Amino acid sequence: MDATLLQQKDRLTSFVLLLPLGFLLLGTAIRFLAFRYQVPDEPFIRYFDELCRWDCDWYVLMAEGGYHQFPTPNRSNAANWAFFPLYPMLVGIIAKLIPLPTVVVGSLVSLCVAYAATVLAWPLLGRDRKAYALYATFILSGPVSFYFTTFFTEVMFVLLTTMVFRTLGNKDYLAASGFAALLSATRIVGVFVAISIGMQALVDYRRTHGTWRGVVWGILSQHKLVLAIFVAPLGLFVYMAFLNYWVGDGLAFSHVQRAWGRQFDNPAIYLWRGLTNFPSEGFRLSPSQILALSACAGLALTGVLAWRRQWAAAILALLAIIVPLMAGLASMLRFMTGMAPLTITLMTLLARYNWLFILSMLVMLVGAWFTTLAWLGGNIALV
Amino acid sequence: MPLSSRSKVVAIYALAALLAAAELVVFWQALHPNVSDNYRAYYITRSTTCLPQPVTADYALGETVDFTSAGDRDAARELLPCGWESPNDDGRQSLGETSRMRFAVGPQQDLELELVLKGINLNDAGNRDIRLFAGEEPIGQALLGPEATETFRFSVPASAIKDGYLDLRLDFPNAIETSPGIHNTYWRSVKLISARLSPA
Repeated sequence: MDATLLQQKDRLTSFVLLLPLGFLLLGTAIRFLAFRYQVPDEPFIRYFDELCRWDCDWYVLMAEGGYHQFPTPNRSNAANWAFFPLYPMLVGIIAKLIPLPTVVVGSLVSLCVAYAATVLAWPLLGRDRKAYALYATFILSGPVSFYFTTFFTEVMFVLLTTMVFRTLGNKDYLAASGFAALLSATRIVGVFVAISIGMQALVDYRRTHGTWRGVVWGILSQHKLVLAIFVAPLGLFVYMAFLNYWVGDGLAFSHVQRAWGRQFDNPAIYLWRGLTNFPSEGFRLSPSQILALSACAGLALTGVLAWRRQWAAAILALLAIIVPLMAGLASMLRFMTGMAPLTITLMTLLARYNWLFILSMLVMLVGAWFTTLAWLGGNIALV
Repeated sequence: MPLSSRSKVVAIYALAALLAAAELVVFWQALHPNVSDNYRAYYITRSTTCLPQPVTADYALGETVDFTSAGDRDAARELLPCGWESPNDDGRQSLGETSRMRFAVGPQQDLELELVLKGINLNDAGNRDIRLFAGEEPIGQALLGPEATETFRFSVPASAIKDGYLDLRLDFPNAIETSPGIHNTYWRSVKLISARLSPA
């Protein structure tokens, strides 16, 4: 390799590694200034606590005290079995080693995971510098960057989803299933990535053989693929086995949803109710409308994935939208923005034209200020 | 295929089979939970909206318990296993289609229960229907108008007291769905203002 090529490669590596670092610092500055602006009387040290809201509080308690038994110690029906174990327990272990408050450790780990998730997404963004810059902005200093930089499981979900699709891109089903197993221990919808792996294997078979004939034997004769199919949902099954031992109910994570008033219904009905839930006054969107529009945007981007024939990602995205939607619109904005295949697709679209690229970046950076203020103000659409 | 490669392939298939079997066992266990009747009724069969939590039920016969925010909220909480909100100025709202109360009353004896309740006024839903049970025994029924506050008295037979405790259950067959599609664990019916048990 000649010197010029080496130099170009070095420059590219520096770009990929340093650009997210810049956005990480910028995003931290924006969020910190928003915190100072919103709660000027709070001491600086409260920054991490103030950004830790809603589910984040649950994760902190889980990292410190583990899972509830039944009856719960606080005599509440809403036990913490609904929250999947991987990320809170990982932070809990790290917090045992580092003498800092759990919320601080959780936030610092999230910053590291968010940085890694961004860098590792480089090939999935088509090695396009503009798409990569937008994605780095979105994850590290964008309007909902507080999801990825405080103690929420979204950031681990993004990292593991990214790794699944990177390894699937190399037809390494076994490695993909390893990440999928971790993903299925991070959020319930993570288990659907097992279907994505199966879908990718089918697509690869069709591409290689040019026909569907002999597909069943073709799949079953791939010993690593067969193993991958059973490794992928392992995280969920291990959690179920734990719940069975701990509370006597392996499906407690699902059953406990009742305590939050989650009612299973037709997702289209929830979507329609949300879209038509107009605010009583003014022209701003109601929280329900914002959540419903987030789901619609997710469905539209799933359509783009399908149009691009990225079937494995499309099936994951579709299931990860429809299944939570069956229990209502709650947290839909967070779920959509934490779906790497959707946000990666969006960034590739926004990077197509220079003017759109610049506008998108500006909107995201300015938006970060306002949404962080809304987050600190307890805006229900952001929950 | 060389023998070592073949054994590796066989080992991988065997591992896959082992994982599949383990996952089936976990799945089977999940379909057959080993839980208490209360847990099953609330979380699994959803046959009740009220999951009794452990309470001390500490109570002195003849004492009137104030369930509004002006009362001793910690002491009051120990009489309410489930189905009640946190206290407000005008009492604790019932949550769901059933609410429970528990009193440590000592040896079996006939009692008189006095309940002060206020009807919830939501969506022009009309009168609140309240069915009262001591243990599993029905002891009375009451109708309460929207926003109306009334004192109800019920006779509690000695046989309803088990192991020194009186368990009261209030069923609300026409509890109000506060918003369309909301789960019945969030439905409302009455506000509990005060309660008193005294020897009959």
